[in-house]
Amino acid sequence: MDRKQLERWLAEEANGHDEAADAAFAHLFAAVPRIEPTAAFVEHAVASAVRWRARRRRLMAIAWAAVVLLVTIGSIAAYYASPRLASAAIKAVTFASGHVIPWMVAYTKVAMEWWLTLGRVGTVIVSAVMTPGRAVAIVGVELVGILALFALLRVAGAGRLGDAQV
Amino acid sequence: MAVQRTDADLAQDALAGSEAAYRELVTRYATPAVNFVHRIVRDRGLAEDLAQEGFLRVYQRLHTYDPDRKFSSWFFQVLRNITIDYLRVNRVPTASLDELQEEGNRGASVDRESVSPEQAAEQGELAIAMAAALSRIRPEYRECVVLRYQEGLTHPEIAEILGLPAGTVKTHLHRARKELADILAESGWKTNV
Repeated sequence: MDRKQLERWLAEEANGHDEAADAAFAHLFAAVPRIEPTAAFVEHAVASAVRWRARRRRLMAIAWAAVVLLVTIGSIAAYYASPRLASAAIKAVTFASGHVIPWMVAYTKVAMEWWLTLGRVGTVIVSAVMTPGRAVAIVGVELVGILALFALLRVAGAGRLGDAQV
Repeated sequence: MAVQRTDADLAQDALAGSEAAYRELVTRYATPAVNFVHRIVRDRGLAEDLAQEGFLRVYQRLHTYDPDRKFSSWFFQVLRNITIDYLRVNRVPTASLDELQEEGNRGASVDRESVSPEQAAEQGELAIAMAAALSRIRPEYRECVVLRYQEGLTHPEIAEILGLPAGTVKTHLHRARKELADILAESGWKTNV
């Protein structure tokens, strides 16, 4: 890195010759000092990788052993305990369905009755209050409200954009 | 004459369990890795630690490496991610003038045998000035400069590493050179051109 190289690069930059400036700077920059890693760097990196691989292998071996152990224990348990487990499960399902299903049917029936009653009351109120003129007025007010809301959102959006441009 | 094996071949062998292949990869990339990180974090010890972490991460993820892709691009991308992750949670130390001077002296010593003492002194000063200027430009420009002019990567390769369009990389390099020229001029390295 010397003054001539520096002058050549600066001249190319000043003249706007981008490619020539790129080449001249590359030549100049090649002399910028580089840091050499410490002597033990490579050994340390390799040792870390070897340790990681050994640890991973150990973990894989332990995981496989655990899987084999669990499958074996599960198989043995299923072989010896399955008749008792199956009968217990069937009993539990039968007991639950015998109690839960009638309860659900009864409450669904009550809920349906309430729902139908509310529906009838609503129909009566609407037929008494609503006329074509009122219906048009309500729809009109809703439309104006929607338009006002839309305009408000547009104004708020424009405000945010203005902030971002600053 | 022995043919030098490509990085991709070494990566494949390292993945298959060859310690020698991995050692060769580390040997090839140790200096570029430490220098790349050092230009970002400006701390030699930290740069070595992060480079070590980068090598380990690369080893752990060798199975994801596509041999059709250039190894250096993939490697620097991993290294950059590690460095950025570190910088997200830690503050960057600033380089002292002594450190820059030490760097400059190391670099300048290469030419000392072939030039006069005055020229050697001037080369050393210029090297210090350039290193100092490099530490003052924007980090994204610095990354581009290091990858392009120190590691010799092409614009598309740098673009891939940094996740930027190639045109943006070119613009960054252009602006970086302009900034470096301005900083050097401020430091008294003006020329008659």
